[in-house]
Amino acid sequence: MAFSSTRRQRGATYEIQRGYRRMIIPALVAVSVFAIVPLAGMFGLAFSDYHLIRGSEGRFGFHNFVRLISDGRLMGSVYVMAILSIFGVVAQVLIGTAVAVGLQKIVGRWRMGRVLFLVPYAVPHVAVALIWLSLFTPTLSPINAFFDIFGITVPSFLTTQNGAMFAIVVADTWTNFPFSMLIILAALQGISPDLDEAAALDGATRIKTFFYITLPLLMPALLMITLFRFIDSLKHFPMIFVITKGGPGRSTQATNFYAYVQTFQNSNVAYGAAIAVTLFLMAALISFYVAKLNQRVSS
Amino acid sequence: MIDNSSAFRVKKALGLFMMFSLLAFAAMPTLWVLILSIREQSAVFQPIWESPLAVTLENFLSIGRSDFPRALLNSFITAGTATVLAMIVGVPAGFALAKARLSGKFIASWILLLLRMAPPVGFVIPLFITYVNAGLIDTYTGLIFAYMTLTLPLITWSMWNSFSQIPDELIEAAIMDGASLTKAFALVAVPAARPGVVAAAILGFLVAWNDFFFALIITRSSTTTAPVAVMNFISYDSVDWASIAVASIALTLPILPLMAIANRYIVQSLSGAVKG
Amino acid sequence: MKHLFTTALVASMALGASFAPVHAQTEEVNVVLFGMPYTNGLQDLADQFEEDTGIRANIEVIGQDVFENRITLTFTGGSDDIDVVHAPVIQVQRWIQAGWLQPMTEYVAAMPGADDILAGPLNAYVVDGENWAVPFMAGAGLMTYRQDVLDEAGLAVPETWEEMLEVAAAIHTDDRAAIGLRAVPGQGFNMFIFPMIMRAYGGNFFADYEGGDLTPAINSPENLEALNVYIELINEYAPQGAGNFNFAEVLAAAQNDQIAFAVEGTGVVSRIVDPDLSQYAGVTGIALPPGGPAGRSPAIAVHGLGIPTSAANPDAAARFIEWAVSVDTVTQIALNEAFPDFTTGPVADNPEVIAKYADVHPDFLAMRVQALDLAIGHYRPLIPDWPSLGQAVGENINAAVNGLMSPEDALEAAEQEMRDILGLY
Repeated sequence: MAFSSTRRQRGATYEIQRGYRRMIIPALVAVSVFAIVPLAGMFGLAFSDYHLIRGSEGRFGFHNFVRLISDGRLMGSVYVMAILSIFGVVAQVLIGTAVAVGLQKIVGRWRMGRVLFLVPYAVPHVAVALIWLSLFTPTLSPINAFFDIFGITVPSFLTTQNGAMFAIVVADTWTNFPFSMLIILAALQGISPDLDEAAALDGATRIKTFFYITLPLLMPALLMITLFRFIDSLKHFPMIFVITKGGPGRSTQATNFYAYVQTFQNSNVAYGAAIAVTLFLMAALISFYVAKLNQRVSS
Repeated sequence: MIDNSSAFRVKKALGLFMMFSLLAFAAMPTLWVLILSIREQSAVFQPIWESPLAVTLENFLSIGRSDFPRALLNSFITAGTATVLAMIVGVPAGFALAKARLSGKFIASWILLLLRMAPPVGFVIPLFITYVNAGLIDTYTGLIFAYMTLTLPLITWSMWNSFSQIPDELIEAAIMDGASLTKAFALVAVPAARPGVVAAAILGFLVAWNDFFFALIITRSSTTTAPVAVMNFISYDSVDWASIAVASIALTLPILPLMAIANRYIVQSLSGAVKG
Repeated sequence: MKHLFTTALVASMALGASFAPVHAQTEEVNVVLFGMPYTNGLQDLADQFEEDTGIRANIEVIGQDVFENRITLTFTGGSDDIDVVHAPVIQVQRWIQAGWLQPMTEYVAAMPGADDILAGPLNAYVVDGENWAVPFMAGAGLMTYRQDVLDEAGLAVPETWEEMLEVAAAIHTDDRAAIGLRAVPGQGFNMFIFPMIMRAYGGNFFADYEGGDLTPAINSPENLEALNVYIELINEYAPQGAGNFNFAEVLAAAQNDQIAFAVEGTGVVSRIVDPDLSQYAGVTGIALPPGGPAGRSPAIAVHGLGIPTSAANPDAAARFIEWAVSVDTVTQIALNEAFPDFTTGPVADNPEVIAKYADVHPDFLAMRVQALDLAIGHYRPLIPDWPSLGQAVGENINAAVNGLMSPEDALEAAEQEMRDILGLY
């Protein structure tokens, strides 16, 4: 922030800051209006005893949260969610960055390339999940059929916990890496090529240039991607619902899926909402720190 | 930058190899969808080399006759309007977040994300009841408002990012020259951040275009969007793989020209942009 | 900027208003169904209903998952936009308990075609002496087998699961597995198939369902024996990856010569034996699913039409249901679609219908009737908590199939969870 604030200019600066405030407020109002009712409803339900079929006996308190503490399935679901989120987000950031940098530096201005890499992002998630389900089902998959010609048997992924989680991460990465790619492309283009040239004149290698000059400048973009993808990955649903149905057994029921099972399958709306609130608070906390980091890096 | 040493060539080759593998990863399922979409019903999962002639256009024709095109139009109208509205509100907000010295701006930016952080299962019932009482079920308005909660945070945050790469001096200079803040924003900052603006618009559009959850609960027959319509190809005891493949293509094709156009802007602004 | 926002809001309001559905003055009935051959066929005939009665039927056919979520919300939110709802028998008990359906007893009594409806499926909707829905379809569990494979091995069609294991061992190869069965967890997935084995071995969900003793009994020795058979079939004699198979994978495997046997619902079976959909249909036979020491118990799934409590127009809804299950309407659908699962009796006497399904497969209609005769109405327990119970049991069974738990532990865990859900501690 380089605005000088000598006494002479203070009045004008104040005017400008007010202008900035006016720019933020509409966005805040728009989101709050739509967020308040659903969020308040979610918290209300989480403290209630509302059951879809049996209704409510009017109990209101922490009983759902007390039950959460001793729920072994919740811990299992948090583990699955953590694995899916961490591996998914890391894969998407890595692949997105690699493609963006590659398109920029290696392939040059091959415009069609960018379009090709964006295709997976436009496919609806249900279709993505079905496509990958067929690719991971040994009897349907063209990959298995192809390797079969050479007598190689590709293992079946969906019948073990790690394999099934791997399949979900792959499907999620495939459809979402273009998100990272696009943001990084936009960020790369904001970075002045002069910097690279200056570094090259100083005798820095390309790799060094990337790590010491490009990467730090990309940090805000990378953090933003991490934040958004992380928040979304906590809500993993169609991939699990279509590819594994939470199986084998319950081993891929991430927390959000577990909340769905409790709410809709077991009709236990209050308990499902309590799980959702827990998830929400976790997401809020983690995103708070990532956002804080983002703010520090951006300024 | 000109370097013809063998080490450089190896690196270049490695880089190209990496790009090629990544392209294969991105394109292989796409290719699989293209194959599924033209296969006859009885040959959907036969290896293509075993029955290369079992191809048909019937899958495309039958989708054309169904309600799917209408759903595609609904998707366009809602995602498009929500993106335009969110750009109008979100781009200035992103600018202010990047350049203002406001004490509460960090909290403000974080609040923008709140609804996105809540898992939909938790709030779907209250949300539905609110929409019923407001008469917003099965209306474009209802869906557009819901999509704004998805697109607005994304656009704001992404513009915050882009604007923070614009040197402060640029804005400062414009204001020194007597421009109002609004003018400095519209005439200096936005053109300078053009790649970011284009990227934010695409991302915002795609996130709404891709939405399944809100459309599932808010829409009924007259406003169903394409991602929900895709689910209708999974019925009680069959999965219509070919139609799902065709629908995926139909959902992707309209995006491609959009991308191609947007691309040009990103590239253009690269060469014409103000450099620090 | 604020001004801009207001303008935008107003603009989008106006946009929404102009696109909002306009309700005509004619009487209307809103019907929500999920996709299956009958419902697709019914949608195509909607104009006939308007011609006959002057009431416009807005029939919406959506995917089953979309349906289930929307219906729960619509009922919970009490919105009155549905007059006729697709009512699967395994959901109805839950809906009745929640007060979401209205009784149809008087409507059924006044219905001229009520006697045409098969008694079994019709009575599946009788709870506490009231009718809650009228069935349109009853699907049953059947087995398909590859005659050529059996001939080559010189084997007969297995009559029991025990024989099935022997036949499977004899015909299983790497290229063509012996059998395909649904295995993914879910009350409509593995819990549609597994109870066939369970009941063949004399297993039950409860101590004495018919006598009213709903103490869970899923951990019985009979059920363990059945579970071991199910596990052995899937792990030893089914294709690679079968531990995650659902109906779609079973169907594709059968159509592509990857399995010799399939035990499936009639809807999937009709596709396996349809020459238009599979080049192996000509060498595929149909039989009843295998039995065991306690007899044979083919799966059954009944679907019908009900009227929600919140329906705006229940009288028109009743007229619509009467038309939808009438001999005339159902005959047309049976001829237009692949729909052999009708529950309107006289349709089976129609020579065109008989000829059509004999063309698909000569044994199909006869086998279906036999399976329905053998099926018990409470194949999956008809209690409000079944959706949760089925989900819990299905998840544990699938865990055992994929080796995450021993069969003993899985049934023990299922027993415990059933008790928890039912509130018996």
